[in-house]
Amino acid sequence: MSRHATADPLPAIAELTGVSKFYGPVMALNDVTLSLQPGITGLVGPNGAGKSTLIRLLTGQLRPGLGKVRVCGRDAWRASAKAHIGYCADSDAFYEEMSGRQFVRLMARFHGLFGAAARQRCETVLEEVGMADRADRPLAGYSKGMRQRIKLAQALLHDPDLLVLDEPLNGVDPLGRIDLLKQLTQIANRGKAVLVSSHILDEMDRLAERVLFLCRGRLIASGTLAQVRDMLDDHPLKVCVACNSPRALAARLALHETVHGIQMQGGDRLILQVRPPKEFFPMFSELACQEAFEIRRLEILDASTEAVFDYLMQASQPGAESKRVPAADSMVDRQGTPAS
Amino acid sequence: MTTAFAVIQMMLTAVRRMIWSRQTMVSLLLLTLVSLGCIAWSLRGERDPADFLRQILLPMYVAFLLPMSCLSFATVGIAGDREEGTLVYLLSTPLPRPLIYTAKFAAALLLALVWSLGGLWVLGVAAGPAGREAVAIAWPAALLATLAYVGLFQWFGALFRRATIMALAYALFLEVFLGNMPGIIKRVAITFYTQCILFEAAAPLGVAPSGPHSATIFQPISGSTAQMILIVLSVGFFVLGAVVFSRREYP
Repeated sequence: MSRHATADPLPAIAELTGVSKFYGPVMALNDVTLSLQPGITGLVGPNGAGKSTLIRLLTGQLRPGLGKVRVCGRDAWRASAKAHIGYCADSDAFYEEMSGRQFVRLMARFHGLFGAAARQRCETVLEEVGMADRADRPLAGYSKGMRQRIKLAQALLHDPDLLVLDEPLNGVDPLGRIDLLKQLTQIANRGKAVLVSSHILDEMDRLAERVLFLCRGRLIASGTLAQVRDMLDDHPLKVCVACNSPRALAARLALHETVHGIQMQGGDRLILQVRPPKEFFPMFSELACQEAFEIRRLEILDASTEAVFDYLMQASQPGAESKRVPAADSMVDRQGTPAS
Repeated sequence: MTTAFAVIQMMLTAVRRMIWSRQTMVSLLLLTLVSLGCIAWSLRGERDPADFLRQILLPMYVAFLLPMSCLSFATVGIAGDREEGTLVYLLSTPLPRPLIYTAKFAAALLLALVWSLGGLWVLGVAAGPAGREAVAIAWPAALLATLAYVGLFQWFGALFRRATIMALAYALFLEVFLGNMPGIIKRVAITFYTQCILFEAAAPLGVAPSGPHSATIFQPISGSTAQMILIVLSVGFFVLGAVVFSRREYP
């Protein structure tokens, strides 16, 4: 079983083909193949998974040891590709003596914009990130959230096709996060590919259309959250059911082989552990109709990025292959293989 | 057109940032101290240009102040951005890396030339008429040495994260220690070629390698050969640095 959903029919803006990256004897990325289409893609993985390496390869800061990284058809290392890439790095470095506006305007000039065009573009992106009225203060006095916004502003200056954001929500207050998430969605809606790396998995649920799961340098799963969750058919899914007669329903469900655990939650609720989900849901619908149970609520509890991530991490631990995941080889399958 | 504009902007930004850096302050302090030394020197009786060359320019300017000034500016061009973490912004622009390197090199060279030649002039003025006459003889050697030092130290910047420390080690060990060794081993030092140019230019004043075994210890080469070597070294270091910077990853 592959954990890689079939790629969208949309044209790829960025592609990694069989990319491996070595730091001396350490393999930071191992044979990664993926493509980024317009829309927001989340990149998640534990520390040391290779997220930053992947991002730096994609933005042309690093060169692959093996394989190819192409952005808009150009080698990402080459200067011509950089015109299509906006990069919001995780480092918090600026020319501290400048104001936010001076910094963004300077970056505009570095991108070849000058005169009125540079000023106009600078104001547009500052407005877009909500910093237009605060950009004249020195960068050294900015909060973390304001610095993130300035970094985003400089990444948007040249209207890139691919926007790569490494932990863009770090230090941003809750209201600011909502603003930034909206902006990223708007950028994606303009046909741009946005790759967001974040350790705040909760936000990925709301933000990312697709998610790339990296672990120990390998791309262990990719696709929409629902697609990836569906692929985890060997892992019990937690489902919350609220109905008018929970005990009767529990008694009926206990007879079915797809239900591996039932927990009474008090009141009208049951928490079920089901596997495989694909077989459970048709059975459940049929049962509810036949027995006339009044289903008030049906909710999947662990289809979030965090739950999927946790499972993938557990399954990819050394030794987990033989115990937990029968199809271990396909779990860490060669990337890019369409899901069956 | 836009590329040229971006490169010029990058150069001007680097110049601005280098001017207002602690390296400038250090260079200013060193120049002030040496200038005060020159004033004190000029007050002690009758002086001639040959004395100024022998007693001030060769030991204090050529062997110390000149490499230090070049080091101050050339090492911060690339290495400063690396240390501060701002290099990523430059490498994210659609400018080819050799052009980014050229912009940084031009900025460092401009400031180093102003500093080394301006510093030489300040020392000459501080030392009085003898100093001014000696400066007229010494400036071509200072110019060529500046080119070579900036090329070398900027290459260090592309090569090492702590380029200032490496450049200091080079300046203090190779230039001073090996530069004063007998035989041809001193030919690894830029100072040697600078001195050869100076000795030839100042020969009419009677300035020559001094000491009882000067001929065997110093073994000078002709001024024109030394000039040629410094020019070749400058170009070579620049090309080498640009190639290193273009191929190297800066994670």
